Amino acid sequence: MTAPILQVHGLHAGYGSIRVLHGIDFHVDDGEIVALLGANGAGKTTILRALSGTIASRGQIMLDGKDVSALGTAARAQLGIAHIPQGRGTFVDFTVEENLALGAYLVRDKQSIRGALEYWFGIFPWLAERRDQPAGSLSGGEQQMLAVARALMAEPRILMCDEPSLGLAPAITQSLFALLEKLNKERGMAILLVEQNARLTLKIAHRAYVIESGEVRLTGGAVELRDNPLIQRAYLGI
Amino acid sequence: MNETKVEQMLRAAGACVIALGLLLVPVLFPSFLVYQFSLTLTYAIAILGLNLLMGFNGQISVAHGVFFAVGGYTTAIFMTRYGMNYLATLPFAAAMSGLLGFVIGVPALRWQGLPLAFITFGLAVLVPPVALKLEPITKGATGISLTKPAPPAWLPGDQDTFIYFVCLAGIAVCVLLAWRLMRGDTGRSLRAARDNGLIAESLGINLSKVRIMAFTTSAGFAGFGGGLFAIVNAYVSPESFQMTKSFDFLVASIVGGITSISGAFIGALFIVFLPDWSADMNIALSGLIYGGVMVGMMLVARDGVVGLLGTLTRAAIRRLLTAPRSGKSLSAQTDEQPDGRQYQT
Amino acid sequence: MQLFLQQIVEGLASGAIYASLALALVLIYRATRIVNFAQGEMATLSVYVTWQLNQWGVPFALSLLIVAALSFVFGAFTFRFMIRPVLGASDHTMVVICIGFFIGFEAIALWVWGADPRAFPRIFPDHVWIIGGVRLTANNLGILATLCVMTLALSALFRFTRIGLAMRASAAEREKSPLVGIPVETMLMFGWGLAATVGFVAAALIAPSLFLSPPMMVSVVIYALAAATLGGWDSPAGAIVGGLVVGVAESLCATFVGFIGNELKVGVPFALMAAILLVRPQGLFGTTAVIRV
Repeated sequence: MTAPILQVHGLHAGYGSIRVLHGIDFHVDDGEIVALLGANGAGKTTILRALSGTIASRGQIMLDGKDVSALGTAARAQLGIAHIPQGRGTFVDFTVEENLALGAYLVRDKQSIRGALEYWFGIFPWLAERRDQPAGSLSGGEQQMLAVARALMAEPRILMCDEPSLGLAPAITQSLFALLEKLNKERGMAILLVEQNARLTLKIAHRAYVIESGEVRLTGGAVELRDNPLIQRAYLGI
Repeated sequence: MNETKVEQMLRAAGACVIALGLLLVPVLFPSFLVYQFSLTLTYAIAILGLNLLMGFNGQISVAHGVFFAVGGYTTAIFMTRYGMNYLATLPFAAAMSGLLGFVIGVPALRWQGLPLAFITFGLAVLVPPVALKLEPITKGATGISLTKPAPPAWLPGDQDTFIYFVCLAGIAVCVLLAWRLMRGDTGRSLRAARDNGLIAESLGINLSKVRIMAFTTSAGFAGFGGGLFAIVNAYVSPESFQMTKSFDFLVASIVGGITSISGAFIGALFIVFLPDWSADMNIALSGLIYGGVMVGMMLVARDGVVGLLGTLTRAAIRRLLTAPRSGKSLSAQTDEQPDGRQYQT
Repeated sequence: MQLFLQQIVEGLASGAIYASLALALVLIYRATRIVNFAQGEMATLSVYVTWQLNQWGVPFALSLLIVAALSFVFGAFTFRFMIRPVLGASDHTMVVICIGFFIGFEAIALWVWGADPRAFPRIFPDHVWIIGGVRLTANNLGILATLCVMTLALSALFRFTRIGLAMRASAAEREKSPLVGIPVETMLMFGWGLAATVGFVAAALIAPSLFLSPPMMVSVVIYALAAATLGGWDSPAGAIVGGLVVGVAESLCATFVGFIGNELKVGVPFALMAAILLVRPQGLFGTTAVIRV
């Protein structure tokens, strides 16, 4: 049995003197979509930021069996952690093409960069049409798609998305989630998805963790969580 | 007895020591040094003004040398051209500088932050050329020589001592004024405008008025100091007011502690005595020390010497009051402001 | 008319130097949001080193190249060891630190080489062309040409190279850039190194005419600050246009406006700066104001 792509033990993190995470344990296996759910302020965003190294943390973070907790953000990106932060994960003052180029910063092989660009221009023709426009001029949904494309230019081991549906219309959210599902099914992309929209998320996720007050409250398969009425009410607001 | 009380007592004691020291200067030191101390006092007045503006109102100024120059020239011109008594010129010196401060303070509202630093820097650079250009009034490069005031017969001590006491009286007035401004409503308005303009405005504080007033007053202080400088130095010329003066004041303000009254004295001592002292060793050295101290201060002691002393004293007090037998440390109530700076005399 | 054109030519040449230093200032500001008042002094030190190498027998052109590279290292080191530790600090702190550098670097030059002005070798030959009554010296043209080449090179670097893109990203989005693997602090270091080299070029261009002395660049800094403010602190193009405008304005005012003359011409950049800050604080080409509410 292969080691999980991402394994987290006893993760503690916070902002200054405010402790937010109090010992989080979870893992993401190869080819899985794992959801981190919970209310506002539960600590979900903090988890992602700790994983990408944006904030300091304590605890074990194993990527492909290797402990990355002592490494800086850029080093972790090099090892394959792709983080799309909350808000717009794009470089707003840079063009669409520059965004993709930035995403491919770590890729040395020109061929694979070209190949990746073709792939993305293929799925989203509008990306090609607007390649010279600043990313900030795109709509919210388009920017999120661009952010995903950017994150995948470097062929990461795991894609971490922080509330991608935030501020997006339901129809766009559907397309976005369809994209994530497609990436997972076609390329076996491991995805760690932080969301407040539990219903939609549980439709595409394999497993989920419910975070509350900086701790893992509950975990289980997406299906069982979705169908459990108690959990629905208490945690998922369904 | 709690920490704040102890701290206040220590601070009062410190102020007394300084005051006593200042009074005893003519007794303890030879004439030439007394002259240097007089100089120090005039600078301290200007630096005090700068502290009011920078420390308390958060507006940066690299132009205090300009206000200083205006004050100095006003005194010199009024004394030589209109034969005014030296003491009488001082209010005019302050007023002229204050006026200039007002003139700059108004557009300064638009120039907050770095741009203000640039503009004031530009002004500082302009002083010598303007002084040269206005030759009919300022006597250009020749400068204006003044006669030092003679001490009245009933006062002991020589001319330098007398002048020193005049400066001391001057700075005493300024310190009192500054102290009153920093306490009370004005002080609060100043600080509020500095810390968060938007909130201050919503509390009914007229930001523009406060900022302009800060500039005017600050410039007035510097002008007053400049006037005294002219008297002490008995000579003004464009050379006396190079751009470096403004830098010196800035350095002094930072080194002493930009929110501190006694810091103004310490800073002034620094810029008067250090150059002489290190020039004896090596002429480039004073520049290196200056630069090094500025950088070092920002890295280590952002609140200047006074701030550093304050932190150390507080730590010492805490240590002493947390005696083993009582076992509990007394709660500290310090005047911590949002940016962590302390307010002190 | 001739005089007018002549003054414009002179103005453009001095403006090119202001533009170069302004460019260095803007590069640093874009990368780290710091106005490095000491840029001129750092450049002066580099020019002194060039002079020294030349004195020791190293061919002049080679000295220039060597020191251009050394300046890069100098700038990078200054950032790495003296600025990086205090990157998050307030405006005031940064201003004071940079003024501290300003004083300190000038003191180093004073200490090592003394206050006596030194002659710096000409970079461009002594040739003069007269076109339509206007004197065009090889020096003036050379300075303008250097500015052009430098601008084109930098533009190319930033627009077409991977590292240029990374540097721009590090400056604009310091938190997001590491997420794509960009070593932000290294990029910022490069930015400072590049700025130092650009500043060196400015100083080397002006040294032959001004004579090399520790405070040589002090007045240039004022013009450069005005140029950058006029053009917009986040716009390299603005720095260049600003520099040229300041140069030409200064030249014209000094010649044609009586009471300014030669003595008060340092007031011209000041007036331009004051004016643009009142009318359009973000500069002619800038997008965001340096002012923070």
